[in-house]
Amino acid sequence: MTPELEHRTPPPVLAARGISKSFPGVRALDRVDLEVAEGEVHAVLGQNGAGKTTLMNILFGLIHPDEGEVYLRGRRVRFRSPHDALASGIGMVHQTRRLVPAHTVLENLVLGHPRARGLLDLRRARQELEALCARYGVHVDLGARVWQLSEGEKQWVEILKALYAGVRILILDEPTSALTPPEVQALLRALRALVDQDGVTVVLVTHKLPVVRAVARTVTVLRAGRVAARLSVSDTTDHELVQHMVGQEVTLPTVQAPDHRGPVVLEVEDLSAYNDKGVLSLRGVSLTVHEGEIVGVAGVTGNGQEELAQVLAGLRPAVSGRVRLLGRDVTHLPTLDRWRLGLGYVPAERTEVASVAALSLVENTGLNYHFDPEFCPRGMLDRARLERLTRQILATFRVKAPHPYVRAQHLSGGNLQKLVLGRVLSRQPRLLVAHLPTQGLDVEAASFVRAQLLEAKARGAAVLLISEDLDEIFAVSDRVGALYEGRFVALVPRNEADPETVGAWMAGSLGRRA
Amino acid sequence: MNELLARSLEASTVFLLAALGELVNQRSGILNVGLEGLMLFGGTAAFLVAQSTGSYPAGLAAGIAVGGLLGWIHGLFSIRLRGDQVVSGMGLWILSFGLTTYLGSPHTGPLGLPRFPALVGLSPFVYCGTLLVAAVWFVLSRTSLGLAIRSVGESPAAAAASGVNVAGIRYLCVVFGGTLAGLAGAAYTLSYNPVWNYNFLMGWGFVSLALVFFSMWNPWVLLGGSVLFGAMWQLSLSPEYVLPGVLSRYVWRTVPFGVTIAILTVISTPWFRTRWGLAKPQALGVPYTD
Repeated sequence: MTPELEHRTPPPVLAARGISKSFPGVRALDRVDLEVAEGEVHAVLGQNGAGKTTLMNILFGLIHPDEGEVYLRGRRVRFRSPHDALASGIGMVHQTRRLVPAHTVLENLVLGHPRARGLLDLRRARQELEALCARYGVHVDLGARVWQLSEGEKQWVEILKALYAGVRILILDEPTSALTPPEVQALLRALRALVDQDGVTVVLVTHKLPVVRAVARTVTVLRAGRVAARLSVSDTTDHELVQHMVGQEVTLPTVQAPDHRGPVVLEVEDLSAYNDKGVLSLRGVSLTVHEGEIVGVAGVTGNGQEELAQVLAGLRPAVSGRVRLLGRDVTHLPTLDRWRLGLGYVPAERTEVASVAALSLVENTGLNYHFDPEFCPRGMLDRARLERLTRQILATFRVKAPHPYVRAQHLSGGNLQKLVLGRVLSRQPRLLVAHLPTQGLDVEAASFVRAQLLEAKARGAAVLLISEDLDEIFAVSDRVGALYEGRFVALVPRNEADPETVGAWMAGSLGRRA
Repeated sequence: MNELLARSLEASTVFLLAALGELVNQRSGILNVGLEGLMLFGGTAAFLVAQSTGSYPAGLAAGIAVGGLLGWIHGLFSIRLRGDQVVSGMGLWILSFGLTTYLGSPHTGPLGLPRFPALVGLSPFVYCGTLLVAAVWFVLSRTSLGLAIRSVGESPAAAAASGVNVAGIRYLCVVFGGTLAGLAGAAYTLSYNPVWNYNFLMGWGFVSLALVFFSMWNPWVLLGGSVLFGAMWQLSLSPEYVLPGVLSRYVWRTVPFGVTIAILTVISTPWFRTRWGLAKPQALGVPYTD
């Protein structure tokens, strides 16, 4: 920085210079600079795997850079752990929740609080937190245990926790990915209040352009571990931002799937099931999915979508009702037999259920083929054949991976999802159940996944898409419906509804149709 | 009958002290299955030092110090080196078994000191154990340190993100667990049964370990459980008091284990978990890597 510049602009409140970080086989960050001015929302934009989270973890002291320096108010700082960062007034809300599920909200908020020394004064903490909640218009039951909360509430608990600890710089990593549209609006409102009224500085990591537009003043765009651009949001266009994110003109695959509905593939009748807490959360759902048709099911997390997907996949017992697959009653059939009949299931939990992190991509592909005599003759894995198939999936589904024997944990979310989808679709399923298939994916990966769903439809598969993204549901579905408290509010052909109506259904109201 | 009661309370206290320490280190996520070894070593050290110096306080101090040291070694393996806690604990038990036999066998026989002083007819360890239960309960449930300990045992990543020093808390707890195990061993060899024999504990440490699971990690339940286990153990030594001649003492001694297995079965059923939540620390036995 030249001396002349230095006295013209105040030093940024938080800055990173020349940060580099490598993980085995990947250069996650390559000489990255970041500057955040006091009292602004600075967005860090980039696709999955661009290095956004790594950079934030470095700012927060969770990981240490190989090279480069971090400056706080012009002073060089070296955070050995999040403890140091918190002590300097930097807080972070992670993409994955960092809360103790067994504890109450209040206990979680107090944990690690600078004033929490010696005796716990929970009564005083409760009063202060109630005031804080009122200030930002948040409603969270402080006495509830965290495992009982929805994703949106948990995220609020984390934000409150940072604010309660007196944080002046708040790092938010993909805060909108687990939220419903109204929750996103509430969050963005609260962020604006934080910045305007309280002068808190916010670093917002996202891959969503509307979020950047709504709250950020400046934006740093990361691409493949490097800074692609640093811009003022008001001086740039969405098109320009996408260009910086992606690097070249993107041509998103578009598939025009012809509409010819075949015979019924999936028939669900009055299906009910318990959730993990023993509450009846799927209550009498009926639907049919035909050959060559996509049925889109919307709903806010926790309204029975997960239970529906799991019952269909044979991973959760049905309390009552029937499931027929290709005319056969499969209600009590084990998962494996359903796969043999032509089920394909893409679970929402990409890293926990859909793949095994410590296994290679070839072995992960094998997860859908271990029962196939062609791939496992006499119980022996035909590794050459599996590897051929894996390579084919990597190529057709544009999975970026160094080689097929790399462990699944080294793939970014988008690449892992493409692999899972590719693996499931390679079986040519008659029924595809896809639960949140694009959650947390960047624009390019998400539209690729959607195109694949349309292609499966064109090939004659019956597709049940369970999603929280209304644009996605309207982009691909032939019929749309919404689950609310375990029941369909409605299920109608796409042209008889619009996103606004379905949004109202998700909230339990019949909307304009009523 | 009074004598039997006093003896069984003293036996309960040995279980209680060891189990209370183990409860604390399990609440922080560290499982030490080598409890028996720590008690053997602490007991032998206390016995040998008390015998050679003629001083009970010196013996107690030696027992506590050796227990704490072994706890720290377990911490080194399971926290610093992120090793398998079961393997490390078993290793400590086998090591202690061998070393105490080597060190103690020349001193086989009675301690040869005046009886350990009693307080109002009961061993002072009984009072000490009860006070410690209250103290542990208070620290775990009412202080910031306790919240940090419980958080580290449930979800170390969340604790670390809140600025809690996960390794530091775990070391603190595992050393505390070790000192209490050493104290329990010393209570055995100095007061409860001041005679050194080959493998004098014969499973007391494993009963204490079972007691922690029995207590569902609650210090007050632990206190009740230890009285129950102590009474059953003492009765197994004097089967003439209960249904004389019905079962041998060896069968009676398996009763605490049977009860524990039944409890563990119940608390792991979905029925129990949906009603009472998860009792077991979620990160128990899992090394923390950041």
